[in-house]
Amino acid sequence: MGVARERARFIGRRVAQAVPTILVIVTLNFLLVHLAPGNAADVLAGESGSATPQYMAFLRHRFGLDQPLYVQYLDYLKNVVTLDLGYSFREGMPVRDLILQRLGPTLLLMGTTIVLSIGIGILLGLVAAGRPNSWRDNVISVVALVSYATPLFWVGLMLIVLFSLHLGWLPTSGMVNIAAFYTGWQKAGDVARHLILPAITLSLFYMALYVRLMRSSMLEQSGMDYVVTARSKGLTERAITYRHVLRNASLPIVTMAGVQIGNLLGGSVVVETVFGWPGIGLLAFRALFARDLNLLLGIFFVAACLVVIVNILVDVVYSLLDPRIRLR
Amino acid sequence: MSTVSRRTFLQTLAASGAVLLPVEGFAQDKPKQGGTLVMDVQPEPPTLASYISTSGPIGEVSAKVYDGLFEYDFNLKPIPSLATSWTESADGKTITFKLRDGVKFHDGTPFTSADVQFSIMEVLKKFHPRGINTFRALVAVDTPDAHTVVFKLDTPAPYMMMALSGYESPIVPKHLFAGTDIQNSKYANNPVGTGPFKFVEWQRGQYMRFDRNPEYWRPGEPHLDRIVARFIGDAQTRSAAMQTSEINYGGFGAIPYFDVARLTKIPGIASTTKGYEMQSPIVELDFNTRVKPFDDVRVRQAISIAIDRKFVIDNIWFGFGKPATGPISSNFAPSGIYTADVRNYNLPNGADVANKMLDEAGYKRKADGTRFEIVHDVTPYGDEWQRFGEYVKQALAKIGIKATIRYEDVPTWLRRIYTDYDFQLTSNWVQNLADPVIGIDRLYSSWSIKKGTVFVNGSGWSSPETDKLMKAAAIEIDPAKRGALYHQFQKLTVDAAPLVWVFELQFVTVYNTKFKDLTVSPLGAYAPFNRASLSA
Repeated sequence: MGVARERARFIGRRVAQAVPTILVIVTLNFLLVHLAPGNAADVLAGESGSATPQYMAFLRHRFGLDQPLYVQYLDYLKNVVTLDLGYSFREGMPVRDLILQRLGPTLLLMGTTIVLSIGIGILLGLVAAGRPNSWRDNVISVVALVSYATPLFWVGLMLIVLFSLHLGWLPTSGMVNIAAFYTGWQKAGDVARHLILPAITLSLFYMALYVRLMRSSMLEQSGMDYVVTARSKGLTERAITYRHVLRNASLPIVTMAGVQIGNLLGGSVVVETVFGWPGIGLLAFRALFARDLNLLLGIFFVAACLVVIVNILVDVVYSLLDPRIRLR
Repeated sequence: MSTVSRRTFLQTLAASGAVLLPVEGFAQDKPKQGGTLVMDVQPEPPTLASYISTSGPIGEVSAKVYDGLFEYDFNLKPIPSLATSWTESADGKTITFKLRDGVKFHDGTPFTSADVQFSIMEVLKKFHPRGINTFRALVAVDTPDAHTVVFKLDTPAPYMMMALSGYESPIVPKHLFAGTDIQNSKYANNPVGTGPFKFVEWQRGQYMRFDRNPEYWRPGEPHLDRIVARFIGDAQTRSAAMQTSEINYGGFGAIPYFDVARLTKIPGIASTTKGYEMQSPIVELDFNTRVKPFDDVRVRQAISIAIDRKFVIDNIWFGFGKPATGPISSNFAPSGIYTADVRNYNLPNGADVANKMLDEAGYKRKADGTRFEIVHDVTPYGDEWQRFGEYVKQALAKIGIKATIRYEDVPTWLRRIYTDYDFQLTSNWVQNLADPVIGIDRLYSSWSIKKGTVFVNGSGWSSPETDKLMKAAAIEIDPAKRGALYHQFQKLTVDAAPLVWVFELQFVTVYNTKFKDLTVSPLGAYAPFNRASLSA
């Protein structure tokens, strides 16, 4: 009872603290993106391949670029506070709608990647740590090293060459079969088929991190006094590993996972590009090069919120894994 | 027939100027109905509002939905679309168009002269980036009856007649736009036109879907049931998707040049460089003629001579181009505007000649062998431009000019070249478009030196003589006289060398031979695709 109430109070306090944090992030982001030379009007007119001075003036006015910076900032702040996020003139749509459309595919890819990479990472880390320096350990270490060191786009392309071009098992790109327009379960299966290659590509990279982390963490923990105590108590090695060591060894994994969420949003740009996956990373990339500042800031805002939420979750998970950690 | 020889075949036809006849000749048996064409559009269009934006990828999809008054044949002559016939007054200031009867917008509303008047006067003339210029001489559009429009001009405007396609000047429905904010219309991303395909949905980041318009005004057309536009950011993935038939069509270099030869060896995949005759991009090096040493015409000419055009075409663009002679593309040869009779910079021993010219001009080599140093900006539109930059650096080194390459992103580069004028020499590519008044005046006239406007006269060069020639040609309705004016213009401009005209870039379309009649007009990917069908 007391623990549950403590936990609720902790979460409430952390959420309250998050508000000024996010406001600071929003302000910094705003200033940063305005440091970039060139603006949305230049790009839009540039894409047109032709423009007249009247057209340029009309664009600048439409984007509010003829306003002083502080006015643009106050406008933007008002948007954020009301969770409106403004309008992307370039895409002709409210920023919120644009982001919401992309959030689903992003979370699907991110979620699958997190589950896959942590799951396989922990498993392989356990196997490797079971018998350090055995052939199994060596094979796993080499695999982890190679998948960590290989550029994501290359892994992606090679998977496409193998599974799409040569074997013809999986589609090269996209999220659904365009010519088919499936519905219902058929659609879910179709999306799953399209998800396999991008999820594997992204997971391989992050899995490598977790394997290394898990292995060293397990080895470190297995030398601790409490393991010796457990062993002298007569517990089986199996029970020691799964009930005691694993639980303690997974704390760094949780920490790492929390940090990686933010990275994952950015790191998926490459995978989204290669596989034509309609995620938020690609949207951010596009917004940056188009200087679509409203959209870019909107994505930053969502990303910041996501990271803050995940961090709170990580702290809660800590306290579940290790009751000694109190949420204050 | 192998795909390579197919391309050569088409080029030979193009050279003989007789493309339309044989293509029509092939279409003797009735085309098959049905099928879904998946085209790759690159990059994903920002909006579908082709009436206020000319951003390249928009046209590839919007032209399936919106018709214009005209379409064009490969000789760049107008052919009827929404307009069935037209007559021009002797002074060229009054043009009467008869409009097609029985045409309906996709929402069922009949198309009338009011839609044309509204589209041209209230939308295109006011908000379209090129329309502001194209329709500058247009004073009013009269509508004596529901199927007649009369254009009233204050000067003749022969160029305007080249800009009336559904891609360039789409006719939008008045009843959906009138009285609304044109720039923020809810029909920007939900277009309603009279074209062969209806817009169905747009899943951002994934695809757009267009279904057959059963009430299209050309009986029996379109043949395809559906066109889907996909967006795949990675060039290699696009090639793979073309190979697995996940996409069937990629225009405007969606398939990278280096992959074209490999892909077209695969049975069922072919390529063509036709369908870009109203784009006519020219690869250039732009001098900033305001700064030393490029204010000196002798330096500009020497550099122009030092560039080996054939090497660039063969090694960087995989053969997809031909040497340019001057500001106007040879695609304008059929209309008599182009001339090759100008100063020739394409010399076999270019480096030697250029070295001699620079010596004579007084730019002596210093002790380290260099004459002067410059920064060479590279236009940020893809990998081949970086390779081109590296080539330019080497070519300049041969004539004693030390160049440092600078590569920035698009907004930064645009700002540097067209607003800050903070550059010396930059690579660039600009399209001639449908007529010199639209595509050429903006690059060489004194009135196009406009700080802050992109893809205009960034080099800062102009002369009273060439200004006068451009002004005269803009309102000359006799084609022969107009051609003569442009010939003189080319001579003078080429002498002054404000740019190095390197080569006429050929875009390439890669497509699946399961489909036919995909490229049937000089508008290529910007055409409505009403005739496209499954092959057999």
